[in-house]
Amino acid sequence: MLTNAKLKYQNNNYYFGKGLKGARKMTSIILSIENLSVSVGSRIAIKDLSLQIPSNTILYLLGPNGAGKTTLLRAIIGYPGYNTVSGVIQFEGEDVTDKPMEYRVSKGLALAHQIPPKLVGVRVADLLSTLCKKSGCSVSDVAKDMEIEHLLYREFGKGFSGGELKRVEIATLLAQRPKLALVDEPDTGVDVDSIEIIARGLKKLVEISPHKSIVIVTHTAFIARYIEPDATCILLGGSIVRCGDPELLYKVMRSGFKGLA
Amino acid sequence: MDLKAWLDEIRERALKALTKPSPYGVDIDVTPFLSAGEVRSGGFLDSARAEEVGVNLKANALYIQVDQAYFSYLSRIPGVEVLRIEDLIDQKPDEAYEYFWRLVDPAADKYTALAALRGRGGYFIKVKRGVKVEEPIMACLYMSYGGLQAPHNIVVIEEGAEATVYTGCTIAPEVLGLHVGISEFYVGKSAKLRFIMVHSWNRVSHVRPRTIVSVDHGGEYISYYVNMARVKTLQTYPKVHLADDAKAFLASILLGLGKADIDVGSSVYMHGNNSGAELVSRALARDEAKIFMRALIVGEGVSRGHIDCRGLMLSDKASIQTVPELIAKNPNVMLTHEASIGRLAEDEINYLVSKGFSKEDAVSALIRGFASIDIKGLPDRVRSYIESIEKVISEKAL
Repeated sequence: MLTNAKLKYQNNNYYFGKGLKGARKMTSIILSIENLSVSVGSRIAIKDLSLQIPSNTILYLLGPNGAGKTTLLRAIIGYPGYNTVSGVIQFEGEDVTDKPMEYRVSKGLALAHQIPPKLVGVRVADLLSTLCKKSGCSVSDVAKDMEIEHLLYREFGKGFSGGELKRVEIATLLAQRPKLALVDEPDTGVDVDSIEIIARGLKKLVEISPHKSIVIVTHTAFIARYIEPDATCILLGGSIVRCGDPELLYKVMRSGFKGLA
Repeated sequence: MDLKAWLDEIRERALKALTKPSPYGVDIDVTPFLSAGEVRSGGFLDSARAEEVGVNLKANALYIQVDQAYFSYLSRIPGVEVLRIEDLIDQKPDEAYEYFWRLVDPAADKYTALAALRGRGGYFIKVKRGVKVEEPIMACLYMSYGGLQAPHNIVVIEEGAEATVYTGCTIAPEVLGLHVGISEFYVGKSAKLRFIMVHSWNRVSHVRPRTIVSVDHGGEYISYYVNMARVKTLQTYPKVHLADDAKAFLASILLGLGKADIDVGSSVYMHGNNSGAELVSRALARDEAKIFMRALIVGEGVSRGHIDCRGLMLSDKASIQTVPELIAKNPNVMLTHEASIGRLAEDEINYLVSKGFSKEDAVSALIRGFASIDIKGLPDRVRSYIESIEKVISEKAL
């Protein structure tokens, strides 16, 4: 069993999912978090957390509501209001702990929000177009991938269904073409048809990532039926209590989080 | 009564109203503008300023007025007539008698009175029965010297006709002027008028447009008004009267900069059954600007109406006040309103930054989004002007 999020390190390489069909070789660390504590307001929401994310890894971060999953993702990207009290965050070997969100995003980190805000008067096409100008993508291709063509000229978020909102959110990541996508609960409040499309989008994010990695936060793990994990970590009470191979995820899906603390 | 008698009556009524203040906005002493000497000539059109307010000087139907002295107008569009108002009076007295000062009361306040006594120019645009014009009919009202500019504009869209009238009003920098534009629009049965007015004044100018629109059975009036630059004081409260089955959509974008004192409203009186009105306004207040946003819908017939007022505070010293009013005079009227004022939401800015926007670009995109009102059916060319204006507003609001 791996504790404190240290993935197994053998012969200079990280391995996960040993014996699992299609298991991928993890060759280098993209994101390294050491002893991170994060406050939100006056509350310490992440406590002395360490986690290393290698390349070629689809990492699922599981935990019940209030475990600190969203806080961790927001702290990684440097979202205002999520304050690092102690610890170090390194992305591609660079210490970004004290860098603002704008800088971290420019370096290739990206966040898919659990609940994106409505943007009054801003059309989906306007936002995607701005992102595609930077990344060189095609708005129509991104829209086609996520099946959101009918939403392009609608106000961002206004009157969208849960599935539409998530698909548009993943589309913004595809338009950003990040090196590492942090995806917050892509499967919450989403119908089956949308989950398939979202999973397709997440696979594409892995494809376009130079490191072939992604972090997916979920508390239901429905999405795991469509995109298989390489690694799973469990977050409880602001700390990672266990990391393991994909079987851990399926165990949580069967039995919940009881007994994992 | 003939036209001459009607013109005499207008003058008499105006003389009695010269000291009558407007119930809204900052009161301006009009005496210096009343006693001004002869009309100055020699002003020239600054084409760059005209283009800044979106006027296409190569349009096939065009009216240009500089100060109260220079006029140029033409129409190469079949079924569209463009005249200066004095030409209407000289050449078509019957139509002048029918339309001139019939909606706006010359004695409404001191500004209408001033316009009735000292005004010159203004356009008469008539689109003949059943003619549907895709190309915008353009007008530019430019003040080069300052002083008074009081044009009288009349638009007649006859039964079944459709047109877009685009008016850009602007002034030379640092020129002190009072602009009182009188506008009387007649939208015929099943006719449609889209009216776009773009204002770009300066920090010492006063502006008092007076507009009344009559929409006949089944007609439609769509208005888009934007104030996109500095102004000293601006007050206007257009009225639209709807007959049976008539519809109105009025959108206003108000940018308050510097020490501007802005009091702008829209009002619709739904006299007929099955009429409908939607009033949408967006105010952006920067610096020490004060903005009043007024909106009124009166439902007399079986009708529906909605008001949507939103204000965006961009400074600690600015102020915005919304005054939405709904009056039902029929139990089968359905009227609603929503109003909100606030700053840009930090979460929206942060969201865009998390997507790779710089903070400045995020704020700019959100301001532009705030100032963007979707108006269906606008010609592409007008839509692109409006989009460029939204961009300018977002830049100036920063």
